[in-house]
Amino acid sequence: MLVMRRRAGDSILLGETIEIQVLEICGTRVKFGIVAPDSVVIQRKEIKITRDENITAARSVRQQDISSILAKVTPRPAVDATVIGLTNVTV
Amino acid sequence: MPRVQTKCFDELEYSRDAVFEFPTGVPGFEAERSFVFLELPGTHPLMFMQSLSRQDVCFILLPVLAADRDYELHLLEEDLAALRFPAGSQPQIGKDILCAVTVSAADSQRPHPTVDLFAPIVVNLKQKIGIQAVQTQYSAQHPLRSEEEAVAC
Repeated sequence: MLVMRRRAGDSILLGETIEIQVLEICGTRVKFGIVAPDSVVIQRKEIKITRDENITAARSVRQQDISSILAKVTPRPAVDATVIGLTNVTV
Repeated sequence: MPRVQTKCFDELEYSRDAVFEFPTGVPGFEAERSFVFLELPGTHPLMFMQSLSRQDVCFILLPVLAADRDYELHLLEEDLAALRFPAGSQPQIGKDILCAVTVSAADSQRPHPTVDLFAPIVVNLKQKIGIQAVQTQYSAQHPLRSEEEAVAC
């Protein structure tokens, strides 16, 4: 990994067309400004991780999956489930 | 009573106050804004989060403390605002909020089922509003192990 020190107002260039400017530094938070072509997808990494995991999770709801998952979990009092009023849903 | 076509459990009736709104959806399913939570006989402690608008969108959830009994949830100010809690408040799991993690079944990529401790589903139980609240200190693919397997490690 390339490591660089930059101050507020400084920029770095990725190739010829992408510029990332450090706009503001406040405690543990940094504000960036990004200039890039429309074709470049810019996203927070945690959203990308979450999206990929959500898409996998949504594929998992099959009977055989449910059985194999149940084999891994120890039944506990369903504190959360009862509070949420799930009894409103009738099977 | 309105009815919802579920992915795996046929058609179910639900009451309007069992509907939870996700104002921005969840990543990957941004258009899905309304969900119901199902609990089924014989699948405790699993829950199912079914979209009302798309039959094929359903998640298996596990209460976070059943996945990791030491789990610590940290809600950012923007998370509290999205959930309509006052700034600086500390909602309690089970009392003010439901906190549950999505479960992915084992497949060719993962030898064991995994839970996403990185992005738990967090729901304000009174306001019926939900978000996915990123917790960067946790793994998105935490192996789900039975107690015996955990002891063996």
